[in-house]
Amino acid sequence: MRIFKALAAHRTGRVGAAIIAIYLLLALCGLLGLTPHDPLQQFRIDRLSPPDTTYWMGTDLIGRDTASRLMVGIGQSFLIAFGSVGLASLFGTLIGLLAGWWGGWLDGLLMRVMDVLLAFPAILLALLIIAIVGPGTGTSVAAIAIVYTPIFARVVRGPTLSLKRRDFVDAARTFGSSQRYILSRHLLLNLVAPLTVQVTLALAWALLTEAGLSFLGLGTQPPAPSLGLMMSEARNLMQQAPWLLIFPGLTVMFGILGFNLLGDALRDIIDPRTRRRAA
Amino acid sequence: MHSKFARTAAARVALATLLSTAALAMPAQAANLRLAWAQDATGLDPHTQTAFSSLRLLELIYEPLVRLDASLDVVPAIAESWEFSDDGLTLTFNLDPDASFSDGTAVTSEDVKASFERLLDEATGAAARSNFLSIASIDTPDPQTVVFNLSQPDAPILVAMATANAAVVPASAIADGSVATTTLGSGPFVLEQWDPNAQATLSVNENWAGGDIAYEGITISVLPDETAILSSLRAGQTDFALLNDPLVATLVPTEPNLQLNAVPGLAYNVLQLNPSREPMDNLLVRQAMSCAINRQEIVDAALIGEGEVTGPLTMPVYASVPSSLFCYEQDLEKARALMDEAGVDGFTATVIAATGEPPIASAEAQVLQSQLAEIGIELEIELMELSVYVDRWLAGDFDMAVAQNGGRPDPYPMYNRYFTKDGNLVKVSQFTDDELDSLLQQGRVETDVDARREIFQAFEARLAELSPWLWLSTSNIYTAQLQSLSGFEPSPTGSLFGLTEVTLGQ
Amino acid sequence: MNYLGRRLLTFPLILLGVSLLVFVSIRMIPGDAITAMLGTEAGLLTPVQRQSLAVYFGIDQPVPVQYVRWLGGLFQGDLGISVTYGKPVLEIVLQRFPLTLELALLAMLIALSAGIPAGVFAATHSERPADIGLRLLAMLGQSTPGFVVGLLIIFVLSVYFGYIPAMGSFTPLWVDPLANLTQLIFPAITLGFAFAASVTRITRSSMLDVLSDDYVRTARAKGVPARRVIWHHALPNALIPVVTLSGVEFGYLLGGAVIIEQIFALPGLGRLTLDAIGQRDYALVQGCVLFIAFNFLVVNLLVDLAYAALDPRIRLGAR
Repeated sequence: MRIFKALAAHRTGRVGAAIIAIYLLLALCGLLGLTPHDPLQQFRIDRLSPPDTTYWMGTDLIGRDTASRLMVGIGQSFLIAFGSVGLASLFGTLIGLLAGWWGGWLDGLLMRVMDVLLAFPAILLALLIIAIVGPGTGTSVAAIAIVYTPIFARVVRGPTLSLKRRDFVDAARTFGSSQRYILSRHLLLNLVAPLTVQVTLALAWALLTEAGLSFLGLGTQPPAPSLGLMMSEARNLMQQAPWLLIFPGLTVMFGILGFNLLGDALRDIIDPRTRRRAA
Repeated sequence: MHSKFARTAAARVALATLLSTAALAMPAQAANLRLAWAQDATGLDPHTQTAFSSLRLLELIYEPLVRLDASLDVVPAIAESWEFSDDGLTLTFNLDPDASFSDGTAVTSEDVKASFERLLDEATGAAARSNFLSIASIDTPDPQTVVFNLSQPDAPILVAMATANAAVVPASAIADGSVATTTLGSGPFVLEQWDPNAQATLSVNENWAGGDIAYEGITISVLPDETAILSSLRAGQTDFALLNDPLVATLVPTEPNLQLNAVPGLAYNVLQLNPSREPMDNLLVRQAMSCAINRQEIVDAALIGEGEVTGPLTMPVYASVPSSLFCYEQDLEKARALMDEAGVDGFTATVIAATGEPPIASAEAQVLQSQLAEIGIELEIELMELSVYVDRWLAGDFDMAVAQNGGRPDPYPMYNRYFTKDGNLVKVSQFTDDELDSLLQQGRVETDVDARREIFQAFEARLAELSPWLWLSTSNIYTAQLQSLSGFEPSPTGSLFGLTEVTLGQ
Repeated sequence: MNYLGRRLLTFPLILLGVSLLVFVSIRMIPGDAITAMLGTEAGLLTPVQRQSLAVYFGIDQPVPVQYVRWLGGLFQGDLGISVTYGKPVLEIVLQRFPLTLELALLAMLIALSAGIPAGVFAATHSERPADIGLRLLAMLGQSTPGFVVGLLIIFVLSVYFGYIPAMGSFTPLWVDPLANLTQLIFPAITLGFAFAASVTRITRSSMLDVLSDDYVRTARAKGVPARRVIWHHALPNALIPVVTLSGVEFGYLLGGAVIIEQIFALPGLGRLTLDAIGQRDYALVQGCVLFIAFNFLVVNLLVDLAYAALDPRIRLGAR
């Protein structure tokens, strides 16, 4: 709750939160079918129609309404972003905790595996995974999640290591708290801060990665729209129908901007070192 | 000079290094034709490379016995003249005495014999081998004469020879296994240097028997993005380019200094059904689908009008008028009636398509999806990378597939692979029919053109009615060039051989 | 240095992991070099034909045998032969690498020379319109997908200026510096755009931190001119996180910029790998990925060492 209040007081954080809120609202409308037109319906006589009062953002090659597709596309892109970041942070946190807390050979093994994933060129790793399993929403989520898991593992392992050495954990130990209790109570609480920031920023990267993968033709499957897929379809139409590239491009841009602003604001609020500066 | 230099692999590497440090710095030499394409050749062995992108390069370097001209007639290449015996069992070629490889050695009947024996050798892995199985033996009575003895009359074999896949390579290169590395051909150009997926350099073959070429060579740039090709043409950095995407091609005429060459190709866009799976095994369901789709609408939307509705046969000599074929006009009532008759009340199926191959595949699948939804058929589209697609396609592992299949100038080699009982690709079509089988066989042995036309029109009508696949349209083959360039004649096969006639204006 | 020794020891281990991962995953993708070469015509091959091509492509043996063979070659510095190019993998990779390296360096140069002054300016004009404007610009820069920037640059250049950078072939710097730079400058700007935005942001925030530190305040109190305080006292310390960020980013860029290389038709490492995947040129994919991973590890090690050298408070062993 405190965080929300702080966000509302934070100038750029407010903007970021507002953007994301608007996007979520648009996505929800898209999900509920509250779009200007059916996003899949092909209006035969209105192919490649420029933006007008009927089609606010024009229509695409086969006569579908861009605005409606964007609304649904935001939902699709957010689904992939939230899904993949959710998975990555879940597994990354687990791995980081295990490695940091138990240390020893397990730490070595887990972190070397993470190193391998990190050293593997990210977009190529995602491409390989998608090529193996076959493209689709689930695959995109899994591929992006695997790419970002090591980052979360690292983010969590560091604080876990230092927290493990800190006095209050020792104190809890001497007072006879069970290991599980220590882990869940103290560690998680102290990890929430860096994780929240990391998650928000990772959402921005995930949106970018989804767009990149779809741009290479390996993301969401048509006819379902996603922001990246829409841009990829519009690529060779840039000259005839610039609105097909401009609107999804701006939508991706502001979506990422929203997450970035939010992430930065959260870092300002949560990280005491920077809080001093903001004050 | 150059050609001798390029004979050994070691010299080739040296040359490549030399060029990459020196000549590459000047891609805009005035006397070179600057060519751009999006997809590069995948290899240099003319007998095993079958991708269009490889053939486009190889047919500039190698020559077959005969060639197809822009109206798909067989014309001389290495062979000056040819003749079938009356019983259709021998085919005799007289070679052009001037024909020689780029190192100056003459092309002899021994080279022809060795080339075809290599093609027929299973170990070579030549896909075109299946077109030449009727060759029983090859005689070489003298260096300028080659006699093919056939096990049965085979009218289409002459056309089948008119491709770089049946190119004549030196017998010596076959003997020492250097075909894929030395690229020693008798065609109009010599490959000087090739950096796959980046660029290549060709120089004019001084020893080419086909005549003089008005410029010194060709520099090829691989620009994977077609809008980049257009930009490059617009900026005057490229003289001539191959385009695949109609969306990009149609922009060319809007540029004052550019010219678009469009010619309907032999390849066809098709929705392949898999008749071994339910409910596509039901003739009525397949026919209902054929009636439900609006082919012109697919051309208008997915191909932005750039293509023609077509039946199974795409070569002008044999093709029927599309409207004469079964249900080529959309008829939703009939479609629904057929579905009722079949007792199928809608179904869900997946359709596979390759990403960007052809560029219109995705749009085409989406239009089909919306059209078939009208009769309760729900398509789920699976777009995949080309090689993955090919793998599933070859295994027949799909309900339906959006495909662009290559056409041939002759119906027999075009369809025998799919629709005869011993065709190599029956696994892909999963469909045979006694009557289709016998019509194809009749067409193969018949040598009279009018009689063949009648046979193949019957074949086409039957194929369209049985609807194992839904043939949709042809696509245009595009090349774009600077206005200042002249003399190029495009071919429905997509061959760039017409570049030999080009003059660079200034 | 104990830390360095341990770090170097894990190198081969990580590379082994990368090699195993790429070796197995590339073979798990449906389709092989034969279908990639012949396309749908591969269906016309008889089993004998297929087998002889499999021998040619070196994919006739069971995967573990192939892996052991390849590893064996690796220890002798042999990355194998690419079947598409008919040349040793290492030779091809080294031929493509100068472009990727130069592009990464140029992008970094652009990012640093634009980002650091902008960051310093923003920090010294904190919360004033210039700062807010720069921050917004940096935020937008960070939020724009590279391919959108690249497509726009090509579009604007070709339509409005009738010009585009040379595409397809690459002119090395030592052959023709001018041609080389005109060819790479726009892709470098594309890559440097988001990079510069990150540099601006991190420079600004780190500068703000440093400016509020005691020693800077002391210097100010002693009457050292503001300009001198900023550039001589504050900036060197503020640059530590910039070094780290640039290093990490540079490490990524050395892996090749797949999409930008595609758009600008540059024969760099990223496109080489992408094409090799498409053509199922297993040896080439393996070589590329291993090479990229190796560079990445080296660059990151250097970044850590630089970090330790710049900031005496950091003891590397403590990680």
